[in-house]
This record gives sequence, structure tokens and C-alpha cells, in this order.
Amino acid sequence: MNRRAFLKTTGAALSAMALAGFPVRAQGLEGEDLANLEKALQEALGKGFKDLTPSNLVKLTMPAIAESGANVPAEVEVNLPGGQVKAIHLFADKNPTPRLVTFMPMKAMPYYATRVRLAETSAIRAVVETADGKLLLASASTRVTVGGCG
Amino acid sequence: MAIRTIVRLTPAKPKAGEEFKLQAVAQHPNEPGTRRDAQGNLIPANYISLVEVYFEGEKVAEARPGPSTSANPLYGFKFKAEKPGTFVVKLKDTSGDTGEGSVKLELA
Repeated sequence: MNRRAFLKTTGAALSAMALAGFPVRAQGLEGEDLANLEKALQEALGKGFKDLTPSNLVKLTMPAIAESGANVPAEVEVNLPGGQVKAIHLFADKNPTPRLVTFMPMKAMPYYATRVRLAETSAIRAVVETADGKLLLASASTRVTVGGCG
Repeated sequence: MAIRTIVRLTPAKPKAGEEFKLQAVAQHPNEPGTRRDAQGNLIPANYISLVEVYFEGEKVAEARPGPSTSANPLYGFKFKAEKPGTFVVKLKDTSGDTGEGSVKLELA
């Protein structure tokens, strides 16, 4: 293959990859399961996914890839004064029990760190209940090689 | 059997007004109730469902973990250092077993 042909084919392949890559990202997170999440949201909050407002005040830190789903570090921090956060909930879309934890900061700062089990590759949601009744949302996704629930 | 609980502060001696982390680690299998043993029988669920943090006898934070918490779990909180005192972390699992760990907050 000469240089010109090589550039032509790799260029075409790269642009095809770029084109294919963007719509995937727009579709949302890997391991989403809104039906399963909706049930857990209704149970924990009495609200659905459409009542949540995505917010960049909520910072959810999850690893992109977890080798074992049995022990995945999760960290959530809310950029609001402590008194304004009533509760922080964590959910994993694909878990048999999607609700991971509910945290009430009270006198603590709106920060919570723990280690969770993930059954499989899943989207993770942090839902923050504020004192004025708003529900803020942050999402992340973790790819799991070996599940931790079975 | 009481749940073994270890509590530590980072930094160990925060300055007044500084933020610090309080981390509690418990020795607990945290069975979610979905796992099977070698014979294929379901292992019954038994997980820590209540974590309470007290400072000088006053409740300052509470977490209610679900079954999907890892074995030997870690719970991390952040506080602002105001005055010295003692933090007590109390745990309770779904079988009614409890655990307690404490740490002294000293200001630098």
C-alpha cells in the first residue's frame, strides 16, 4: 500500500469512527435501566425519573471500570451549604435492589463516601433532596467485569 | 457478636474551621441475599442497614445503606472542625447485631 492510499483509508476509518461514536454518547449512559430505576425511585422518594433535575452542583465520582463488582468505591459531594441538603440517595440502575444508600447529612457536610456492590455494568445515580424540596440528579456509569451480587 | 468497627479522622488533627473526613470501617460480610453458597443455596440477607454518627452525644449524621453495600464496608463523612470532642459511630445490621467505634477529635 502506498502512502496516499494508506492515508485515505485510515482517514475514512477514523471519520467513520468519530461519526459512529457521537450518537452513542448522546443516547445516554452505559448500563441504563430506567424501568428498574423508576420502581426504586417511586419506592424511596415517591417521585419518578422525570421529576429529577440534572445539576452540576452534585458531583458523583465512580470509577469508569471496576474489575470486581463486589467492591466499588462511590463518592458524592454536593456544592451547597450543609443546611440546604436534606438527603442524598444513591441508585444503581441494574442492581436487583437499585437503592444503594440514603444519607442524611444533618450536621455533617453534604458529602458521602462508601463502597458498593454492582451486579453488572450499570448507570449510577446520585439524587439530592434539598431543603426547598428540589430533587437534583447526577449520573455516572461504571463498567463491571465480574458482578458482586451473585 | 458485636460488629468490629474502626473509626479514623483525616487529617488526624485538623485546625479549627478546617474540613476533615471521618471514615468508619466495619468487619461485616454484608450479605445482599442474592448470593449462593457452594451447594447452590441462597445465603440469607444480612447487611448493615443503619449508620449513625454522634458527636458529644448529639446525632450529627445518619445513613441507611441498602443491601448493595460491599463486604467490610467503608462509610465516609465530612465535617467542619469547630471544637474538640468525641465522635461515636453506631452500626446496626438487619439481624439486630450492633457495633460501635469512637474517635477523639483534637484540634491542632
